Amino acid sequence: MSRGLKEAFVFIAPLVLFVSFFILFPVFGTVWNSLWQDIPFITRQFILFNNYIRLLNDQQFWQATLFTILFALLSVCLEMIFGTITALVLNEKFHLRGVMRGIALIPWAIPSVVGARAWQLIYRYDYGLANWILQTMGIPSVNWLGSSLGAFTALILADVWRTTPFVAIIILAGLQTVPKDILDQAQVDGANMFRRFFKITVPMIKPIIIVALLFRTIDALRVFDLVYVITGGGPGGATISLSLYGYKFFLLGDFGYGSAVSITLFVIAFIFAMIYIKIGKFRSR
Amino acid sequence: MTWKIQLNFIICILLIVSCNSEAPKLTFAVGGAPNEVEYWEKLVGEFTESSKIEVVFLRQPTDTDQRRQGLIIPLKAKKTDPDVFLMDVIWVAQFAASDWLLSLTPLVERGKLDTGNFFESIITQVDQHNGELIALPVYNDCGLLYYRNDLLEKYHFRVPTTWQELIESAVIIQEKERSMNPQFYGFVWQGAQYEGLVCNYLEFLASHNGRIVNKSGDLATTSVENIQAVDMMKDMIHKYKISPPNTYTEMKEEEVRLFFETGNALYERNWPYAWSLHTRDESPVNSRVGITVLPRTNKGDHAATLGGWHVGISRFSDKKEEALALVAFILSYDIQKRLALDLGWNPGRRDLYEDKDINKEMPQIQVLKRAFEHAVARPNLPYYTQVSEIIQKHINAILATRSKTEQALTRAQEEINRIVQQYHE
Repeated sequence: MSRGLKEAFVFIAPLVLFVSFFILFPVFGTVWNSLWQDIPFITRQFILFNNYIRLLNDQQFWQATLFTILFALLSVCLEMIFGTITALVLNEKFHLRGVMRGIALIPWAIPSVVGARAWQLIYRYDYGLANWILQTMGIPSVNWLGSSLGAFTALILADVWRTTPFVAIIILAGLQTVPKDILDQAQVDGANMFRRFFKITVPMIKPIIIVALLFRTIDALRVFDLVYVITGGGPGGATISLSLYGYKFFLLGDFGYGSAVSITLFVIAFIFAMIYIKIGKFRSR
Repeated sequence: MTWKIQLNFIICILLIVSCNSEAPKLTFAVGGAPNEVEYWEKLVGEFTESSKIEVVFLRQPTDTDQRRQGLIIPLKAKKTDPDVFLMDVIWVAQFAASDWLLSLTPLVERGKLDTGNFFESIITQVDQHNGELIALPVYNDCGLLYYRNDLLEKYHFRVPTTWQELIESAVIIQEKERSMNPQFYGFVWQGAQYEGLVCNYLEFLASHNGRIVNKSGDLATTSVENIQAVDMMKDMIHKYKISPPNTYTEMKEEEVRLFFETGNALYERNWPYAWSLHTRDESPVNSRVGITVLPRTNKGDHAATLGGWHVGISRFSDKKEEALALVAFILSYDIQKRLALDLGWNPGRRDLYEDKDINKEMPQIQVLKRAFEHAVARPNLPYYTQVSEIIQKHINAILATRSKTEQALTRAQEEINRIVQQYHE
């Protein structure tokens, strides 16, 4: 080995060690766990894919998967739309822009459990803010979290409120890389606002959009705190997310099955990531 | 050069990580509210002083689920610490079936403890496994009925002893009180999708003479008693409307307690902890609240779901004798009395319910004693958590009118059966 190569290895070593300790080891450890029947009160057994076969016949698992994917798709869609609008506004020059940018970030800066607790209080039936508004308008109170649709919508709303600023900040960074003169030129040529946005801005910030999408989707698929705090999975198990479902098995001590649920979530997130990367055509760059 | 430095660095880290060979120590793990943990630390200090046995005090979090995980992980790895710990009553079966608990029978054999001083129903339902004593109650808990004695008096009703009486009085009083307080409801209880729902369900069920698991050990989720009990829960919300619509979405212990405490309810189902809060000076209902056992039906007796914390010793303990001494200390008459008087913990020992000082400080203790004699334990299964999840989900769906009673109970039974097959060796 030449001296240069040796040194290269030395410099790469910390990264390799870090990645293997904190990423590869846990991931492969979980895959390995998911192949075992690993319950404290039963003899430990290697059962290959039996945990996954059990998943296939588990109604609650399918419901949790459906809920998680729907939740991620819908909330990310809304966050992208609102986030982009917010970013466009914050990118314009106006009085107190710096202050506004700071304020817009507040929901993201609040710890998610605290935010979730605030939303739980808004939705509360007896003294929640939402019902108080209805009552002052003379409309009878609604039990927001009482139906599956109501609970689902409530969770989406809370998530959109919390993470729109995150999307906005990323997109804003992208918007600042768009050269002003191109936009001015297009304006002179008679392109209206929408045409300028879709034909110039969007293609130029596409990589940034993909990054925001990627971050947000993976994050939304892992939703736990919001559900845990606001609905606890209710009513009647309608809002149990995959991470909440897996967590419940870890509590019982069924580590194998819990790991299988986690791996499924990992695979779903991975598929989404691959799709985005394909759309973003990162490879050709 | 750099290569060597990094190698040394890595070796150092590995050494630090692998260096945990220590002398055996007695470790005691306790969690809970901060004041409780502090109190325990003080007690353990006194134990060390009197017995000269050094104890490492392991502070656990307040959250019950986290406390459980904090014990499962070391026990599963057969770690020698913690040696002594407190378990929620519903973990005992799992810990025992996993063969993690040391027998406490030596304490009885050596005359350090007498199981006759404890509630027999609790010992037989929870603390015995394959004929061995594996845990003992430190703190007992169970469901109770709180009522507003001023309102019952005002409308000439007596304290209900049956669910029928409770519903009838609640419907009438609610209607009359509504003219003054539109927020008023007859009866509040815990119906959100969480463990508390199973506790409430079990009380409704047992007072209808039903069980989740019947005496021969078979599942009886779809029995007539089950259907009647669940229908009664549903009717309280949707037919008689004596329980608020958010019963099945938001009502947990604290929500129920606050609802009752602000004067918005006639009856409340809650745990004993609510008593001292309802009767403190700042409480709007402080002098107007009464306490009794939960109602029965003409088919079944009063019932109270058993909660509370039990003490056990790890089978992997490296200080078994010292651990037994600590358990005997915790369960001694004096310490149990102090826990009752200073922390308001309802003693695990039955003989304390006759103690003069405790009766003076805690006048409600006689009601509690009566309730503990009617205590019903949740199914004593190592995979109880999973069974509970299924019950929570389906009962909650019935209360939310998302599914029909019989269908949901049938589905619950099927799902539980699958769990039983899965986890039964």
